Amino acid sequence: MTDILDPKFPPSGAAGAAGTVARETVEGGTARGRRVRVLSADLSAVGEPALWAFGGALALGIILIAAFLAMVAWNGFSTFWPKPIAQVELRDGTVIAGEPTRSGRYRPGDTVLTTLSDAQRAFIADKEGYSDRTLYKTANFDLHGNDFRWVSDFEVAEITFPPDFHLFERQQWGTFVGRVAGLTIDGQQRAFDHDLMQREQSAARDRFREMRRIERSEIGALNHRIEQERLAIRRAELRHGEGSPQAEALIAEAQANIAGFQQEFAALQARVAEIREVDRRHRVVLEDVGGRQVDTELSQIVRFYAANTVGPIDSLGIYLSRWWEFLSTEPREANTQGGVLPAIFGTVAMTLLMVIFVAPFGVITALYLREYAAQGRLTSIVRISVNNLAGVPSIVYGVFGLGFFAYTLGGSIDQLFYPEALPNPTFGKGGILWASLTLALLTVPVVIVASEEALSAVPRSMREGSLACGASKWQTIRYVVLPKALPGIMTGMILAMARGAGEVAPLMLVGVVKLAPALPIDGFFPFVHLDRSFMHLGFHIFDVGFQSRNSEAGKPMVFVTTLLLLALIVTMNATAITIRNRLKKRYAGGQF
Amino acid sequence: MSDTTPGGHSDDYGTELRAQQSSDAIASRLRQRDMKTRASVKLGEKVAKWVITIGGLMVIVAVLGIMVFLFRVVAPMLGGGEILGNVRYQLDTRQDTIWNNGDEFQTLGTVVAAEGRVITFHIPTGTEIARTQWDFNGAEVTAVAGTLARDRIALGFDDGTVRFAEVGFASTTTSRRNLPDGLRDLDARDRELDGRVFTEVGTGDFRTLSPVVSLGESQAISDSAIVALDYRIGGTRERPTLSFATVDAAGVLRVSRSRVTVNMMTGAETVDTTTVELPSLGLADGVSVTGILLSGSADRAIVATDDGVVFRYDLRNFDNPSLAEQRRVASEGVAVTAMTFLSGEESLVVGGEDGSVGVYFRLQTGTDATTDGRELVRAREHTPMPAAIVDLSEAQRQKEFSAVDADGNVWVYHSTSDRVLFELARSGDVTTPSTAMIFPRSNGVMLVSQGGEVEAWQYRDSHPEVTLGVLFGRIWYEGYSEPQFVWQSTAGTDLAEPKYSLVPLIFGTLKAAFYAMIFAAPIALMAAIYTSEFVHGRVRATVKPMMEMMEALPTVVLGFIAALVLAPFVEEWIAAVLLGFIAVPLGLMVGAFAWQALPPRIVLRYDGLPKFALMAMSILITAWLAYRAGPWFESALFDGDFKAWTTGRIGTGTPFMFIILLPLSYMAVAWGFRRVMGEFWRGRMRSMARHEAGRLDALRWLVLLLGAFVLSYAVASVLTLVGYDPRGGFVDSYQQRNALVVGFVMAFAVIPNIYTLTEDALNSVPGHLRAGSLATGATPWQTAMWIVLPTAASGVFSALMMGFGRAVGETMIVVMAAGNTPIMEWNIFSGLRTLSANIAIELPEAVKDGTNYRVLFLAALTLFIMTFVLNTIAELIRQRFRKRAFQL
Repeated sequence: MTDILDPKFPPSGAAGAAGTVARETVEGGTARGRRVRVLSADLSAVGEPALWAFGGALALGIILIAAFLAMVAWNGFSTFWPKPIAQVELRDGTVIAGEPTRSGRYRPGDTVLTTLSDAQRAFIADKEGYSDRTLYKTANFDLHGNDFRWVSDFEVAEITFPPDFHLFERQQWGTFVGRVAGLTIDGQQRAFDHDLMQREQSAARDRFREMRRIERSEIGALNHRIEQERLAIRRAELRHGEGSPQAEALIAEAQANIAGFQQEFAALQARVAEIREVDRRHRVVLEDVGGRQVDTELSQIVRFYAANTVGPIDSLGIYLSRWWEFLSTEPREANTQGGVLPAIFGTVAMTLLMVIFVAPFGVITALYLREYAAQGRLTSIVRISVNNLAGVPSIVYGVFGLGFFAYTLGGSIDQLFYPEALPNPTFGKGGILWASLTLALLTVPVVIVASEEALSAVPRSMREGSLACGASKWQTIRYVVLPKALPGIMTGMILAMARGAGEVAPLMLVGVVKLAPALPIDGFFPFVHLDRSFMHLGFHIFDVGFQSRNSEAGKPMVFVTTLLLLALIVTMNATAITIRNRLKKRYAGGQF
Repeated sequence: MSDTTPGGHSDDYGTELRAQQSSDAIASRLRQRDMKTRASVKLGEKVAKWVITIGGLMVIVAVLGIMVFLFRVVAPMLGGGEILGNVRYQLDTRQDTIWNNGDEFQTLGTVVAAEGRVITFHIPTGTEIARTQWDFNGAEVTAVAGTLARDRIALGFDDGTVRFAEVGFASTTTSRRNLPDGLRDLDARDRELDGRVFTEVGTGDFRTLSPVVSLGESQAISDSAIVALDYRIGGTRERPTLSFATVDAAGVLRVSRSRVTVNMMTGAETVDTTTVELPSLGLADGVSVTGILLSGSADRAIVATDDGVVFRYDLRNFDNPSLAEQRRVASEGVAVTAMTFLSGEESLVVGGEDGSVGVYFRLQTGTDATTDGRELVRAREHTPMPAAIVDLSEAQRQKEFSAVDADGNVWVYHSTSDRVLFELARSGDVTTPSTAMIFPRSNGVMLVSQGGEVEAWQYRDSHPEVTLGVLFGRIWYEGYSEPQFVWQSTAGTDLAEPKYSLVPLIFGTLKAAFYAMIFAAPIALMAAIYTSEFVHGRVRATVKPMMEMMEALPTVVLGFIAALVLAPFVEEWIAAVLLGFIAVPLGLMVGAFAWQALPPRIVLRYDGLPKFALMAMSILITAWLAYRAGPWFESALFDGDFKAWTTGRIGTGTPFMFIILLPLSYMAVAWGFRRVMGEFWRGRMRSMARHEAGRLDALRWLVLLLGAFVLSYAVASVLTLVGYDPRGGFVDSYQQRNALVVGFVMAFAVIPNIYTLTEDALNSVPGHLRAGSLATGATPWQTAMWIVLPTAASGVFSALMMGFGRAVGETMIVVMAAGNTPIMEWNIFSGLRTLSANIAIELPEAVKDGTNYRVLFLAALTLFIMTFVLNTIAELIRQRFRKRAFQL
């Protein structure tokens, strides 16, 4: 730095080295001293290569973000669009049919090459040892035991798109690719007719939903009541002592109730059996490209379409109906198909619950730092703590949440309030309450920082004006400062929600599950069940991508879920940032 | 700051105001206003103040609370165990005791005496519950041995016969209403009737324990007395294999194996026994056998002698047994007085006459000294006891054993952690030699002396297998050839030794963070400097929020992309990726020198956004070129197969070192050029027009680059010649989920963090410093490098530390993309397992308050402390920086 300030030397760039060179010359006492400043271009002073490196880094960052978002968006949006079904005849005579999923270039290994014919080897040699290949989703997992097949270009003899190929999405066993070989309506064989099948299929789906509704809600409610009565028996035993007259009376009453419920239960089951009987008489026989047949109830078909003849309007309809299914139904097929409604519900419920906890805590701390504390060592320690809360790995919060909230707090609650259910834990395990408390701890720094910023943006003149009018300090904060800072605080909340919604690692320890049997909110008293486990979009991605039987089959689902989660978070962030920017503008000249 | 407002004294407002008002003024008013502050306002003020102060300080409480809580969970693991109590009483055996057994609830004990009296007693009180007399037909017991569970024993007699017997316990559950009448209270907990003991187990049910005692028929094995014996049960429950080994007075060793086959239809048992005689030991005169040990599957027998040698027989070929190894375990003349296998039969514990306790592993060393290439290796040497070891007894479910010495001391050892867990104190004089047993749940020891005196201890040591040495040191585990850092908390069987070294996990954490920082630090810093110093404010206003948004991207998404999209791609195109690391910077440099050579008119006109777009274009183009040229690059440098090259089978280390050394070589060449021709060159350039100078400079750069290529290749070749090969070090065989992918994607997660903090730091450098620098004629580049960056250095440094902290704690990316193998190598192409990933994987399955649970909490505490230190230092630096920047 001294080199630059020293007037003897030109302000050369990369100052150290260049400066030294110049100094040596001077000290060496060369006759033509270089003391005269030359004002022409010195390229090293501009630092063009370094500028490009810096700019390149920024550009790289932006390119990476853009590429990442584009990839997620493209894969997410294109997943549900109906694709044609190709029938591929291979050179060895095998015929397969499936949706082309993606293709890529690879290098066939030596073991592959030796099995090929000369022509095929020449084909590969032509491409410098590389070959293109396409991944076909052949579906029909129940027939083949796998869903996908890579087909290299050199294997292919002919690709056709037969018009009678349909794609069937089934309730179980995933999709089926093939033709309709036979249709049975109400026990009678009928010729295949697309419209007829469409009509009957939607009627069958109605029956299916009805059965599902009875099984889920009505029988579920009964089960719930029976369970309640069982717990009542246990409670009576614990409270009055086993064998005591009070307990016996209560138990007898509960057992009478259970008997009544069991009668209702039998009636409902009879109704389900009745519908199922009708259902069994509406069947369809599916046939794959190799002629193997699968006979199934029509109600098992969730959706079907003639993949190679479907028009753009119908395609759009299928596309939208798939999105609707995704957003509004429960998952099926080990989460790799169907919808993510429970996960959306769980994510939103958990995040909202988290905000309830995080808001007061964050705002109070910010108020303390901005309005009450004298700036000194204590605030410095508070700031270090805030920073530490922000910097501690999220998984540590998970560990803390599990150990402290679930096991210690929850365990004590169980001992006090739910002894009848023990040893089954009620609150003494992961659940939505503990998850949201854990995340509240995790996101509180975000709220503190944002609220502090918002509070400091409120012009001092407003505070002083209020105080001058005789308002007390709390009144000033309550009626002047907080309302003004509210949008900024809301920004903090939204940012915290975005952070909380995307966090997965701690949730894996404190209550997220791959498939929750019941939502945290339902129609049974007390309606909000804070002890329940829940599903979460982020965990859904992890689970489907990594824990399912075939990660390839789950991939489209993962991409769509990713898109949904990203959209959620990006929207929240964008809102927060917009609010913040507008606030900044509004208060830019606020000091008068 | 806001504390200059007088609000803090508002409590006094009312009084002050009132004092200032003269009473005249008040009187003159038409309607008198009450100037007194309402009590509710005052109260509200107080409440608000306290609530807010306490709430504000809660943050400190939260941080400390987390730390304290984690520590409290961890602490019990590092403390020792405690003795809960002991009892001592005399049984009416009248004969020397030869065997004892106790049930897992420490309720019933059984003692077998030499002349066949079997007494079952209530352990807490010593009350006799049942008594049986076995009839040995006049033979005298000369040896006794039992299985691991201690309930099946074999008795060897002086007439050369062997009998099997059972001294176990049967446990059933009875509900309260089925309890028989006439129960006799044994103590507060247990009641007894007809040899059955009833214990209430909490939920109204009673556990009923009764002894199972039976004696089998005698089998003739030898003509002379049996002097040593061992008995094992192996195989499956449906098809057990009973085997026993005997040594008779004539020194003949025999092993018999019985297979029991149960006929499914009739339920009849067929016993099929084979007996083989083992090759002779060839002992010198006066040396005698002190014990024999057999493995559960009867594929191995160990014989100990009184001059300190053990013999190992290989019985895998049962019809043709061989003497595999002879090994000295104590100095000459020092007898091996006791031997046992630890549970799992991997470790052999040998106790000597001199009190030494050593543990031997049978390791595959490929040695020629033994017939099967394996040998017994002394792996652990435990604290010796004061006198000769007379009894060793292993625990059933832990690597724990008890040892009794000739002075009557009873010690409980844990082998893995090399600890003496308890030195049990006897509550009376030691009379006769005794044998000990550890109760099946490893929570007590029962000692029975030959005279029938019983002493039983209850203790609790929940985590005997963990010490600081185990967590952070090298431990020689069973089956390993040397002491190592190993993490393997769970294994396929209960008998495996859990391995809890945190070192591989800490190593993995640092490795992942290190590779992430290699990518993240330069990109984030350079991008932040560029944003802060070289772009228009409008551009910054859009770029910065974008980066902040990137900070909020869920890492689970990044992990998914890393593992399922990026990892397969990088694996297929690894050569292209490597080429990209060279090509992209080179491409940018080409752009820069080309830009310099442009006429000033164009340069000035298109400076700013168009130039930035060109930079982006340059990156895209070079990336695409690298993708296209990947195969060519691979065949040119790595024999056409990079992955095969990394294994070290083909090619040499030269090409890789060439690439690694390229930047260094360029620096060296550029430095040399500046030294030799710098001044001349600068003088020459100054006399030229700017764009002409630019062209010349580009030429200089090309020449230097060429020089760098040559130099780098030369140095790499020399390195190869002297025998240096990077493979086996930071480059080794390729795995799909590796540190490169993790580092890259984690960098993606860390960049926004470092970027925003750095940008903030640079931005808070006061504008007048910049203005001053520019006014004295410095270029923006010079101002940025020599004025702004040094001023903001501490802020930038703290940003880097916070970034590092985030990389250390990142979980989901690592869980998904790192392969999760807890290995310790710097190889960039191999996987790793971090503390965080380990917690996420194992904690959901860990039993509450178990050892693994607590070790995982320790992992969390370690992470917490690591990031706590990093963040605290970073925040302190930042606070000082802010103060300084404010003062400037």
